[in-house]
Amino acid sequence: MRKNRVREIILHVIILTFTFMILVPFFFALNNSFRSNSEMYRSFFGFPAEISSAVSMGWAVLGGSEEQYVVYDWDQESEERVVGAREALHQHFMNFTRGYRLAWDTLREYMINTLIVVSATATGVVLMGSVTAYILSRYRFPGSRFFYYMIISTMMFPAVLTLVPSFMLVRELGLLNSYWAMLFPYIAGGQVFAMFIFKGFFDGLPEELFESARIDGAGHVQLYVNIVVPLSKPIISVVLIMNVFATWNNFLWPFVVNTEGEYHVLASGLYVMATSHFAQNFSTLFASYMVSSIPLLILFTYATKPFIQGVTSGAFKA
Amino acid sequence: MSADANVERGYFTPRFKFNLSCYLILLLPVGMLTLFIYVPVMWAFTGSLFEFEIGGDSQFVGFANYYEFLFLDPTTIPSLMNMLFITFFMVCVRLSFPLVVAKLIYSLTKEKYRYVYRIVFLIPIVVPGVAVQLIWAGMIYNDRGMLNEFLRLFDFTEVGFLLALGFTEEFLRSISPSGWTMGWLSDPRTALIAVVFVGFPFVGGFEVLIYYAGLTGIPESVNEAAELEGCTGLKKFFLIDIPMVMSQLKLILILTIIMSVQGFENLLILTRGGPGFETTVPGLWMYFNAFSFQRMGYACAIGVCLFILIFTLTFLNFRYFKSTEELEGKR
Repeated sequence: MRKNRVREIILHVIILTFTFMILVPFFFALNNSFRSNSEMYRSFFGFPAEISSAVSMGWAVLGGSEEQYVVYDWDQESEERVVGAREALHQHFMNFTRGYRLAWDTLREYMINTLIVVSATATGVVLMGSVTAYILSRYRFPGSRFFYYMIISTMMFPAVLTLVPSFMLVRELGLLNSYWAMLFPYIAGGQVFAMFIFKGFFDGLPEELFESARIDGAGHVQLYVNIVVPLSKPIISVVLIMNVFATWNNFLWPFVVNTEGEYHVLASGLYVMATSHFAQNFSTLFASYMVSSIPLLILFTYATKPFIQGVTSGAFKA
Repeated sequence: MSADANVERGYFTPRFKFNLSCYLILLLPVGMLTLFIYVPVMWAFTGSLFEFEIGGDSQFVGFANYYEFLFLDPTTIPSLMNMLFITFFMVCVRLSFPLVVAKLIYSLTKEKYRYVYRIVFLIPIVVPGVAVQLIWAGMIYNDRGMLNEFLRLFDFTEVGFLLALGFTEEFLRSISPSGWTMGWLSDPRTALIAVVFVGFPFVGGFEVLIYYAGLTGIPESVNEAAELEGCTGLKKFFLIDIPMVMSQLKLILILTIIMSVQGFENLLILTRGGPGFETTVPGLWMYFNAFSFQRMGYACAIGVCLFILIFTLTFLNFRYFKSTEELEGKR
């Protein structure tokens, strides 16, 4: 009994060590997103100085103090001012959030682009994947096996093979610098995997359901809307989430097709920020990495179950 | 019924109408697939036989692009070596670290903790991949980054223990003139190592989940038999757990090989292949040829070569790396 207890504690310690090592970079990125460059250079491992000074100043304000404080304005660069406690507190807050304010100015556009691209892609992928899977799973007609293998065999073409010619194609079609340059290839590629998962699921649905509905005179649309969709809600959310994560992380394609930089999504936008005038502005950069993680964090907290299910369902079994 | 059949006889039988409806529905997905996947795949092969710029004239050169890549280009050999090293390293770490962590989590007695830890290891997935690379480049490997600042805490000129061990200060300075700190990504001696160590300690939530699923799939009878035979701890891990999660290992192996042979985004972000060609891989070289040097044909040829390589490796993997089911079938 005692031995088991010790073993358990040792296990916890080892696992927590791994967790700690994984989270350390993110922790320091978060920490340093609240600190100025000079503060970071002075001592990398310290905590944001703005917090401690703001806390002491907050006490002073509560105490009704009218003392004068010297504050440094990061936004104006090298301007020191002597102001009252209340304004000093405000200035500390502005300094504290400077990285986030600057980051958001640039990120807002990327964020909107990303949300548009990701939601449109996910909708398209789920719609097309499920409709194709429904047809190929429930019916036999001349060429149905051919179509199935034609769709499935695209999985063997790696991205590295099609990157350059896809770019030439999108350019020929005149789609460069538009949402379509991302949407069409994403949907065309994403539907394959979605179709594969949906077909595996639809194959398991009992034929009697479809048969009886067909006798009642239901067509493709009624069958799809009234039988397929209600039954496959869990699998739809799995496909949706997997697709959102994949699209969200796609960096190279948006970076390549946005030659004029107007339609950058978060992933490519972050790289653009890190190689542009923000390159040495660490608090802004780290703040932008943190902000860009928030939407997926929210999605992840709401959809942990389908996500885990998607990863472990054997959909990935090679 | 016969009346219906009379009306419908002829070319437009119900069967034909029905088939037509199926084709019509498939038209859009298959059409998109053809245009956005099959056409580029075809262009990759045909384009590799030409020498052309975007929007410029093209000139048929036969297999000259392939010949140049395989035999003439001085970057080919070093970039292939880099790719091999990265692939080998990635395979090693992604088959070992997450498996060990999955086993540790699986060994916990309380289901609650097991669930929580699996979730915790998944959380970093919400950070975009680009941001992870940029965090490592900008914060850890940076000149004033975490690694260098950490090493400055233990600067040998400050800490006497190395001097006490008998190392003279001149000797230490001769190894490393500026102390322990260095430009990890810009120093040719460390660039490649630094690049592969991004993501240390390599415990991705995805792999942990996959291996964990494999471990839960081990039948209870096997575990009990092992316990009766006195097979526990490390012995059980190597003799029972690893063979029983062979399918998962195979999956991760294939995915890792495909990913590291074709992946170059991280190198583009971290080093752009530098210093020199220390961290160039064929994929990155393809990218530069296409989008910096405007040699589209040559880039297509490199892409085709990588495709053939990936295809062969995946095939060999399927052919010779036995999954658990196959191992059991043989017995």
